[in-house]
Amino acid sequence: MKSAVTTVVIAADAAGRFPSLSDIEAVKGSFDRAPARMEAAEKLAAGLDKVTIDAVDAVYGKGSYDEANKDKCVRDINHYLRLINYCLVTGGTGPLDEWGISGMREVIRAQRLPTVAYIEAFAHIRDRVCVPRDMSPQAAAEFKALLDYLINALS
Amino acid sequence: MLDAFSRAVVSADSKGAPIGSADLVNLRKYVSDANKRIDATLAITQNVSCIAADAIAGMVCENTGMTQPGGNCYPTRRMAACLRDGEIILRYVSYALLAGDPSVLDDRCLNGLKETYMALGVPIANAIRAVEIMKIASVAIMTETNTGRKMFDGINSGSGAQCKEIAAEAASYFDRVISALS
Repeated sequence: MKSAVTTVVIAADAAGRFPSLSDIEAVKGSFDRAPARMEAAEKLAAGLDKVTIDAVDAVYGKGSYDEANKDKCVRDINHYLRLINYCLVTGGTGPLDEWGISGMREVIRAQRLPTVAYIEAFAHIRDRVCVPRDMSPQAAAEFKALLDYLINALS
Repeated sequence: MLDAFSRAVVSADSKGAPIGSADLVNLRKYVSDANKRIDATLAITQNVSCIAADAIAGMVCENTGMTQPGGNCYPTRRMAACLRDGEIILRYVSYALLAGDPSVLDDRCLNGLKETYMALGVPIANAIRAVEIMKIASVAIMTETNTGRKMFDGINSGSGAQCKEIAAEAASYFDRVISALS
């Protein structure tokens, strides 16, 4: 599972050397960012269901998508937000990459679901994050960066 | 391999639940102890050859026949292999300590180690003794309870007494090596 620490350790192991000072600096940098990430993860976990419904209602409320797909969309958005919660905890994109993004296009296409609706929903969530009502600026920045990462992967 | 964070993620994923406040308590502790963890890792990495060489020398002193003809550390080629293995075990312990999770030690070092040693005719009891000495030495250096000078430059600049909990964690990784060999 890719995270700040495992990336460093795997590279050091491949070279057969002990963690060097620069490895340790990299790990320390990720620890320094960790409180903001964990805050975002905590707030997201607490409001995950509400955020999902809110976003899907907004996207499907416009009438441009088939209502029959709405439940699947809720299920998937919920799943991806959970993976984002995991990414916020690990400090890397490992959970999204391994469990969400690889094979994603194929699955969504096979189910004949509109990818654009997903993108709109994630963009809606990103734009609705309110500082400081929802979370602190650093936490919001970490959260938005991951939403953008996912939107890029879907586009 | 996993670290403390991805370990929490894997266990949350098996339940299909996001990581909430309750699960974050332990991780917040891990982050707040980060500097001590880094210091403890530096205590190992800055003293690798010292720890490994002392442990192997100690093991030989307790079993002087080892360096005599017919002993397992004779000729020097085999003694050198022994020193090398001591450093390899220390390296994986330092990885596990930095990651806060033993998976890297288990997967990449201990899996099959005992079988390899038995196939090569390495005396397991002596190997375990060397690991024990490395454990004692590493913990003493981390907690600054070694005799003589302080043996590492950390970034925490606190006293070694603050590293006690992390040193206990490091000791648990050495114990893992010992139980894998037993």
